[in-house]
Parts: sequence; structure tokens; C-alpha cells
Amino acid sequence: MSKFKLATIVTALAVAASILALGQPAAAADRTVKIAGWGAKSGPLRSFGVNSEAVLKAAVKSINDSGGVKLGDGTMAKMEFTYYDSACNADQAISVVRKVESQTEALIGIGPTCSGAAAAMYGIFQKKVDDAADTGLQFPILTDTAIRPGLAKKSQWTFRNVPNEITMYDEMFKWLRGRYPDVKTIYGGTETDQAHSRITFAAVIVPMAKKHGFEWVGGGIKEVTGKVAGGMKQVLEVSKSSNWLLADTSFSVQARAFKRSGADMMIVSSHPFTTCGMLKEMRRQRIKPKVLVGLTSSSSAETLKGCGAAAEGMYIPTGFAPITEAAAKVAAAAEANGGAADLHSAAAWENAHIIKQVVEATGVMAKPDTLKADRRKVRDGLEALAKVDGLMGEIGRVQDEGESIKPYVFVQGQSNAWKVVHDPR
Amino acid sequence: MSDFWFEFVEITQTIGDGLFFGATYALIGIGFTLIFGAMGKLNMTYAAASLAGAYAGLAAFAFVDAPAPVVFLISALASGVLGFVAYLTCFRFIPINNHLAALMASIGGLFFIDEMVVHATDGSPLTFPALFDDVMFDVGPYGVRGDLLFVLAMCVAGTLALLYVLYRTRLGLATRAVSQQDVAAQLCGIDVHRTNATTFVLAGLLGGIAGAMTASAVGVLSPLITVPLTVKGLIVTVIGGLGSIPGAIAAGLLVGGFENFFLYFRGVNERDMYVLLLLFIFLVFRPQGIFGSGADRD
Repeated sequence: MSKFKLATIVTALAVAASILALGQPAAAADRTVKIAGWGAKSGPLRSFGVNSEAVLKAAVKSINDSGGVKLGDGTMAKMEFTYYDSACNADQAISVVRKVESQTEALIGIGPTCSGAAAAMYGIFQKKVDDAADTGLQFPILTDTAIRPGLAKKSQWTFRNVPNEITMYDEMFKWLRGRYPDVKTIYGGTETDQAHSRITFAAVIVPMAKKHGFEWVGGGIKEVTGKVAGGMKQVLEVSKSSNWLLADTSFSVQARAFKRSGADMMIVSSHPFTTCGMLKEMRRQRIKPKVLVGLTSSSSAETLKGCGAAAEGMYIPTGFAPITEAAAKVAAAAEANGGAADLHSAAAWENAHIIKQVVEATGVMAKPDTLKADRRKVRDGLEALAKVDGLMGEIGRVQDEGESIKPYVFVQGQSNAWKVVHDPR
Repeated sequence: MSDFWFEFVEITQTIGDGLFFGATYALIGIGFTLIFGAMGKLNMTYAAASLAGAYAGLAAFAFVDAPAPVVFLISALASGVLGFVAYLTCFRFIPINNHLAALMASIGGLFFIDEMVVHATDGSPLTFPALFDDVMFDVGPYGVRGDLLFVLAMCVAGTLALLYVLYRTRLGLATRAVSQQDVAAQLCGIDVHRTNATTFVLAGLLGGIAGAMTASAVGVLSPLITVPLTVKGLIVTVIGGLGSIPGAIAAGLLVGGFENFFLYFRGVNERDMYVLLLLFIFLVFRPQGIFGSGADRD
């Protein structure tokens, strides 16, 4: 045999062996339940992504440690996740979801972590399932963290597991009404360049406070009723000099507007950085309202790191507190992974378990050739879910809107910690 | 108190608060203007490096419970080191006449430093030790924040120190010579690169104090403020007159007062629009700024 022939045979055998070697693990790897997560892992809101990833990592580990996920043919498959950075940026969130949908075998996506990015990203999905005229993305999403009310109904492929702020503030003001009968008047401000803070303040918090008999002072907003979004523009108009922007550093004018109002109850509807700036300025100006109310997003470790002492006494409704055994376990696991479980990120744990439940219920096969059908099964399974077990109790679903009804508690800043002061579960 | 008097006090207090808070803008503006005066270039990393210096000071506070003066000293030193690194990476090896390349490099440096801070802190706001936070001087119906008075005093002291260095020392002589004619300065035996590097370190030291002062005045440190502070610093530098240190102080106070005035009357959504309008007016009608020399601008 010539040297050339020998070399050819050896090369052919090596190539064949390589193909076999590559093919076998690939076949094994095909039977994993792949999910993709994405959120802000860079930029000033990086903590959202870090926390969400830490909780998701813990959830996937717990699922795999308990045997994995049962597929349609009875095979037990491991769950795998990849986490991408969408930087709280709409363009980046859209490019991540397009990449995940077209270039990966992920069955479902969990993300993005920011409401603004979610609102934009949901817009590229097919609005109604099976609408042949709509070429939008057909890929199921189960979002955590992004909490702005009413986003998931944009598409039948998009679902969320976030607390319902309308219900939470409605119930909290009802509770405050009973707890503080002498408190009559309210005033407040928000960061107007953050859609979540602004919309929740003007369309949820103020209307709900008025619904329960609190009177807005500092300008006429007669049209605002307990109805959600009623008179939203007017709320922002009359409180314009008491508002601020996400990156503002000076709050003296706003704090004086608060002081001038003389309100019994004051509302600071913003994210941790400006919540801290505003609370510190209120303290400098010796403003001591009888009741202080904050935005859901501020019931986090970030606020305590920034201004735990200034947040003393502040009431916030939240969908997460480590008050159950399961919630405490997740909080510890998140910390071990370098993050924190809070009302935003804890949902990532629930989402991973919801996906496991849906995959098992719908007979997902998790093979490359069933990817499209599997994604559809997951979507249909999510839509069919009536209720699931959550960390704080049972989570109900609003199927036609893709939203959740989560249990919640009211916390208050006390001695540099968020203490549960009312548990309506 | 009558309604008119009440409103008068409110408005004057609002403007006064803005003027005092403008001292933090002035401190940042001084750093921009110092480097522009020396090299004729904008160092866009300046505010980011100043805040990064403040983070270094904060680390000392968090880990060894360092007292406030030590926190400020470490902030200044760290920012000085970053200033030197910024010079080496964004200016030293870029041809002196290629202004755009240096500008783009320093913009890259700005985002790089900012992202490093974001990754180190996960973007969380962190409590910064406050100086004279609880000191409030009541002057009749007015209140003046003690910490902002201190910032203003530091601004003036920093300016005097810089003016002394620039006009009474050999380093200042060399800096002025390099800024006027770098080739001639080199022919006279002045090491241009060493002079420029020293200017960056000097500006960095001041920047670290500015960053710590700003963080102290807000009470919280967050990477969120890097870009807005950079923009404010640039506006102050242009309005004050590129290269003019007293101009940076005057413009810082002016911008602070202007901001608060329009926040009070027009709300936060329009506030920055008026500040940018002020910049536009200066660029059109007085491009040399408040104290800049018309001849310097070509």
C-alpha cells in the first residue's frame, strides 16, 4: 500500500471517528431542556441582571439535583440555562431575543429585566397565535423583574410572573386607611424619565390612595379617582416641581415642595438611587411625614445599602420576603451565587419551576427536530396554567393577559432592614 | 408671612440652593478646563475618573472604617493615578494634532471606567460618608447647607491653589509654556510629556476631591451620575470659557442656580432644556464664555 493510500485511509478513519465522537455527545446534549435568560448585566441597573441570574442558577441547580425534567417519552433530562446581557436597553433586548430564537435551541426565554426593554421587545412578537398574516416572533417568554403594569397582553407569546402593583397598592392604602385614621392628606413625586416609576405613581399609587379617601394636596387633581390611570397626566402636571430624573443629584426644590404641601403622607415613587437622594434631602430639611410610601422597586437591598437609615419607616408592598421556608432557602441560595432575592429576582426561581411543570405537562420532547413544536407546547402550557406554587404561596394566572396574581406582603424599613408589617395572604 | 413674601423666600431659596449645589459642577468644570488649558484637548474620562476615585475612598471607608479626611485623601490619590493612566492611554501616544482621536479615546475611557465601577458594585447605590451633613445654617427665613458651603470653600481653595501652581511655580511656568507653544517649550528644555502628565495628575487629584464632594453632597454614590456629571462639567467649561478656572467656578454656580430656577417654575421635564438653551446662547453670542479670551478661540 502506498504511503498516499495509507494516509488517505488514516485521514478518513480519523474524520469518521471525529464525526462519531462529535455526534454522540450531541445526541445526548439534545435531550436537555434549554432555557435562555437575559437582563441588565451591564450599565447602572446591572443589579437586576446579577440578581436574576443568581436566582435562576440556583433554581436550575435545584431542579437538576432533584432528577431533572421528565420529557414526553419518559426520559429525564437536565435543565440548562444561558444568561445574556441586554443592559436594560430595548435594542439590545430585541437583538438578544432574535438571536436566542433563531440560533439556539432554547425552549423559552426569561427576560428582559427592565420594563422599558420588555415593552419594546414584546412588540416584535406575533400578537395572536396562528395568525398567518402576522410574521412576528413565535417564541415563548416568561418575564421576571419588569413590573410595569399591563405589559404581557401585547402578545399571546409573552407571559410574566411579576407582582400586580394595582392590587398591591389598592390593598395597602386600604390597610393604611385603617391603621392611620388621622392621616388625611397625601403628596409625592416620581422620577419622570423612568416609565415604571412615573406610570405607577400617576396611574396606580395616587388613584389608589384617593380611592381610599386620602386627599391630594398641593394642586387640584379633582378628576383623579380610584380608577387606574384616571387623570394620570394631571397628577404629573400638578406635581411637576416635586418630580426628578433617574440620575438627578440635587433634590432641594422637590423636598421643599413636599414640605410646603404639609401632607400627612408622602410618596417617593422611584428607584433606589433617587429614592435615597430624596429621602436624605427630606431628612436634611427636617421633613417628617406621618406616613412614607415607596415604590415596589425600592424594597430591595440596594435601597438599604444606599440609605437604610433614611428609609426608616417607609412602607412598600412587595411580592417577596423571606418569610416562608422556601423563600428563605432561595434568599440564601441567591446570596451564595453572588446576588440577592427580592421582589424582582425571586420570580426567576418560580419561572424555572413553572417551566419544568409546563414541560412535563405538555410532553415536550426536547429534540432538535421538535424544537418548533416544543416551543408551541410550552406557550400553550403557560396559557393553560391556572395556578402554580410560588415562594410566598399560590400564584394565580390571568390567562388572557399572560399575567400573574402573586401573593404579597407589606414591608417597612426598620433598623436597616425590610420588616414584614402586614401579611394579607 | 404674606403670600408674596413667602413666594419671594421660596424663589430666592431655590436659586440659592442651586448656586450652592453648582459648586459641585464647578469642581468638575475646573478639571476639564485645566486640561483643556494645558493641552487644548478635552479629557472626557475626567468625571468618570473623579467618581472612580470617590469609589476608592468609599472602599477605604467600608473596609477599614477610614475617617472622612482619609476617605477624601484616598479619593484624590486614586483619581490622580487614574488621571495619569488616562493620559497614558488616551493622549500620550496619539499624535498631538489628532484631536479627534484623543477625544474618541477619552470617550472610550469614560465608558470603560464607568463600566468597571458598574461591575465592581453591580450598579448599586452606596452610602457615601457625609461631611457636615446635618449642619444647616438658618439665616432668617433661609436655610444654607453646611456641606455645600464646604464644597464652595473647597472650590475657592482649589482654584487659589491651582492659580498659585500655575503662576508661581516652575511646573506652572512649564504648563503655560507647553499650552502656548509646545515645540518652543521643548526647544527650551521642557519635557512636554512630563508636564502634560503632571497636569493630568494634578487635575486628577482635584477631581478625586470633586468626586468625593459630589458624592458627599448627594449622600449616595452611583454610576448613574457619571454621564450627567460629565455633561454638566462640559457645559460649565464652555460657559465659563475654555481654559478659564475662575470661569468654571462662575459657570458652575450659574448653571446650578439656573437649573433650580427652571425646575421650580417649569418642572423637571423642561429643566435641562433651559440649561442647554443657556449653553446655546453662550455658543452663539459669547463663544469665549464668561471669562475666556476671545483671541483664544479660533
